Amino acid sequence: MANENIRDLLKRSDMILIGVCVLLAAGFLLLAGKSAADAGNFLTIDSLFFTAVCLLLALTFVAIPALTLRERGIHPLRVGDEVTPARANEHVHFEGSTRLFLYVLLGLLVLTLVEVFLAYIHVPLSIMLTLLIGLSLVKAAMIVAYFMHLRFERMSLVLTLIPTLAVCICLLFIVFPDSFRTREIRATGTVAQPPAQAAPSQGH
Amino acid sequence: MSTEARIGRLPATEWDGGALPYRVGHRKLGMWLFIVSDAMTFSAMLIAYSYARVSSDDWPTPFPFFPSIIFSTTMTLFLLASSFTMVMAVKASAHNRLRAARRWIGATMFGGLAFLVLHLIEWEHLIHDGLRPFRLADKWAQDWPTAPPLFGASFFAITGLHMFHVLTGVLYLGYIALRIGKTRHEDVEISGLYWHFVDLVWMFVFPLIYLMSVDFKG
Repeated sequence: MANENIRDLLKRSDMILIGVCVLLAAGFLLLAGKSAADAGNFLTIDSLFFTAVCLLLALTFVAIPALTLRERGIHPLRVGDEVTPARANEHVHFEGSTRLFLYVLLGLLVLTLVEVFLAYIHVPLSIMLTLLIGLSLVKAAMIVAYFMHLRFERMSLVLTLIPTLAVCICLLFIVFPDSFRTREIRATGTVAQPPAQAAPSQGH
Repeated sequence: MSTEARIGRLPATEWDGGALPYRVGHRKLGMWLFIVSDAMTFSAMLIAYSYARVSSDDWPTPFPFFPSIIFSTTMTLFLLASSFTMVMAVKASAHNRLRAARRWIGATMFGGLAFLVLHLIEWEHLIHDGLRPFRLADKWAQDWPTAPPLFGASFFAITGLHMFHVLTGVLYLGYIALRIGKTRHEDVEISGLYWHFVDLVWMFVFPLIYLMSVDFKG
């Protein structure tokens, strides 16, 4: 039943009615959201009433097709756990236990809280930036290695992706020292000149 | 022995065709390459923002603990949890437990939507205070009188681009969840890769934009 086409099981007039009901429900939902967003003070009788009525109408228009489909035993979105044809010939490998992923999540949450704490203590800017970026890199490495599974993939893939990104980011940083010069110009109107070269060039 | 004959006797390796050198298949490799390119986009934007910030001697640091830092930390926790639920979804899909996979994807989408709602509320606070892309909020003129007007541009551009990625990710996940009976496991894995990338970018955006702009007075 799950994989049959809905069109085989319903008449055309039924499909149109269901479509109209879904559209109206969506419309009322949007109206409810818009009235809630536009209301200056949401907690007034007027705005609460209007929003409630819109939600109720949306619910009604969603219930009609839902109950009809249920009554006829049609579950358009039902999926069973049997192996579908799309998956039958797939070679699937998935390493990593739930416990491992929970540990990674815990580590990420802890590091996030450490970063937030770090933002509120007074350390010199360079130390703070180093720590923040360092911690973010550690978090990024954990996500890439464990959640994105790169730790369990071929080394050739790792070596193709990571150095690419690292090199490009380093290239982006080439112009960064110019920001120090710009800052100095803003502050003093000039840039400290390097000491003059030893001998002027001859023959000019 | 001639060169041609010698070539014919070289050992066949996985790079000779007919094999998957990276063992991941072309769709997944395509998503990885997209992720690397998108990471470069975000890196470029963050580095440009850092340049603008370093080169100015006055940069607003307007985020009070409540609501901005609390909201953004909660958003980070939601996004991290949604990454975990996505891994669980991929695991369920690998074992062909499709209903469980669909539920885990639903939880991931919920985390993403919660992130979006909180982030939009954050934006609304700042816009209400008067922040625009090239104009600072009026009340910031007291604390940061010589600040360049770039705070809004950098903030809205970077967080806006990230929000767009989250929204697209939620829609993509919705599509995968709806069609989970008809797609391969690889497709679920690939959508997982995109979602983790979205989380990854936030790991850098959050400290550099929010935590570096904490308002110590607030």
